[in-house]
Amino acid sequence: MAPYFVNSTDTLVSDALAGFARAHADLLSLDPDHGFVTARAASPHRRVALLSGGGAGHEPMHAGYVGRGMLDAACPGRVFASPHNRQVYEGSLAVARAEGVLHIVKNYTGDRINFGIAAERLAHRGIPCARVLVDDDLASDCEQIAAGRRGTGGTVLIERILGGAADTGLGLAELQQLGVRLAARCRTLAVASAAHTAPTLGKPAFRVAAGELEYGVGIHGERARSTIRHAPLARLVERMTGELLGALAPRPGTAAITLVNGLGAVTPLELYAVHGELARVLDAQGIVLARSLVGDYVTALDMRGFSLTVLFAEPADLAYYDAPVHTAALRW
Amino acid sequence: MTTTDQALSTGTWMRRFADTVRSTQAQLTALDQQVGDGDFGTNLSAGTVAALTRLDALDALTPLDACGATGAAAALEAAATAFLDEVGGTSGPLFGLLLQSLAASVAELGLTTPALTRGVVKGLAAIRRVGGAAPGDKTLVDALAPAAAALEALPARTVPAAALDAAAEAAWQGVRDTARLRARMGRSSYVGARAAGVPDPGAVAVALFFASAAGSVEDVTPYLSATWGTAAGPGVGHTPSGSATP
Repeated sequence: MAPYFVNSTDTLVSDALAGFARAHADLLSLDPDHGFVTARAASPHRRVALLSGGGAGHEPMHAGYVGRGMLDAACPGRVFASPHNRQVYEGSLAVARAEGVLHIVKNYTGDRINFGIAAERLAHRGIPCARVLVDDDLASDCEQIAAGRRGTGGTVLIERILGGAADTGLGLAELQQLGVRLAARCRTLAVASAAHTAPTLGKPAFRVAAGELEYGVGIHGERARSTIRHAPLARLVERMTGELLGALAPRPGTAAITLVNGLGAVTPLELYAVHGELARVLDAQGIVLARSLVGDYVTALDMRGFSLTVLFAEPADLAYYDAPVHTAALRW
Repeated sequence: MTTTDQALSTGTWMRRFADTVRSTQAQLTALDQQVGDGDFGTNLSAGTVAALTRLDALDALTPLDACGATGAAAALEAAATAFLDEVGGTSGPLFGLLLQSLAASVAELGLTTPALTRGVVKGLAAIRRVGGAAPGDKTLVDALAPAAAALEALPARTVPAAALDAAAEAAWQGVRDTARLRARMGRSSYVGARAAGVPDPGAVAVALFFASAAGSVEDVTPYLSATWGTAAGPGVGHTPSGSATP
């Protein structure tokens, strides 16, 4: 048993959200009635607001990416559960700009439906709304999964680039098209050596046998589709990166933005070792490692695992990525 | 056909629907326990209870029946907001989209058959856009699509109460058809073949919604039997209007 530090698991998300808003009061404010956070400052050039959301348990995503140069609003749901359409609708009304609002949605059935209902309500009110669906998880890329690939770590990179683009004054259709292109050039693969601790039970959500790895985990504490033998890090990262490059088929010389992401209980020491191996593989393949992030950006509570994301970027994407950003979890 | 039925108000319709959901909640829950997670009756009831609260608040301001298109649309809009804002899960809010679409068309055209037709057709389109379900997937779309088609086939001058009767009849036929379908998505998709022979609760709710315009429906069982015919069926509190067209 490893109990969580909580008043009650029922209030964990709202308690954390209140604390988060207090800690970053200079950057954002919380609407406690509808459960969304909005940025205090945003570029005056922005014509379209960016809004995202999804289950809690993935901190710092999404509220951690609200602020100048990134999201205008974020709507957190309960742990691993979609936000209610009301949160998305009210949050969108609060931040919509002259040319409306762009929803950045991770591909899960519940999120798609709730963001979709909110979009229909916005249309009813005459507010333009479009969607970018992020579906970067390579492990769920198979014909048997009718819902399609899941949205995971790549969401952070796409939100950052779209934020930089929105600050240059792009319109709704241009931003949506950019988002679709980015999502098509982005894939993620994750492994775990131990499950997250279920908050209500204080126990691991599943067991991984000694010497084994769950290969292709998502961010909701579910088992992967395959279990493999624990391999030395170099071999593991070679295999993962090989699959990502196989799916994206980049030409040599293409620029990549990478994210080595901890799922909640992996040390920075390990993550940097992973990044070293990733860089070595990309160098050997003639891929230009243009930008990289290493750390806990999209977690799955305290899952002991990491994800690798590769996004192939065009020069304009890199300029948007480099533009100033100031949020709780990402700033330069 | 009585004058009262012809002069149907949306407020009365929504209240009758709430009565219907209250009296059939146990049966809807029993259906959902066979094909889903069993919370559909509760969610639908939460929506109609919230809608009643909002209708009462509206009534306290202005008697709805006396305000023409604005009042008619306001009752539908109040019910829509209740379902969209206050119901968890996805079936309830999806139902709210149908109500929202009806509110928009009634606001523009008044409580007329063309308004009902446009509202149902556009509501169906919105629900399909959001949920991704097509006819044959064993969802509420299987009742709503035939209802929309039935409405589209009516002459524009059809009395609204008669149009809703026709929509209810087509929806019930759709409900019976869902019993033969295997779900590809939605609640029933997870239990697969085990849902064979059981109609989709969301589709039943759509049929109850249209049928409630004529009066509260107290028992859905007769509608679900294979021998159900084309008559309005038993269990309707009010005497339903006879023909689909005047």
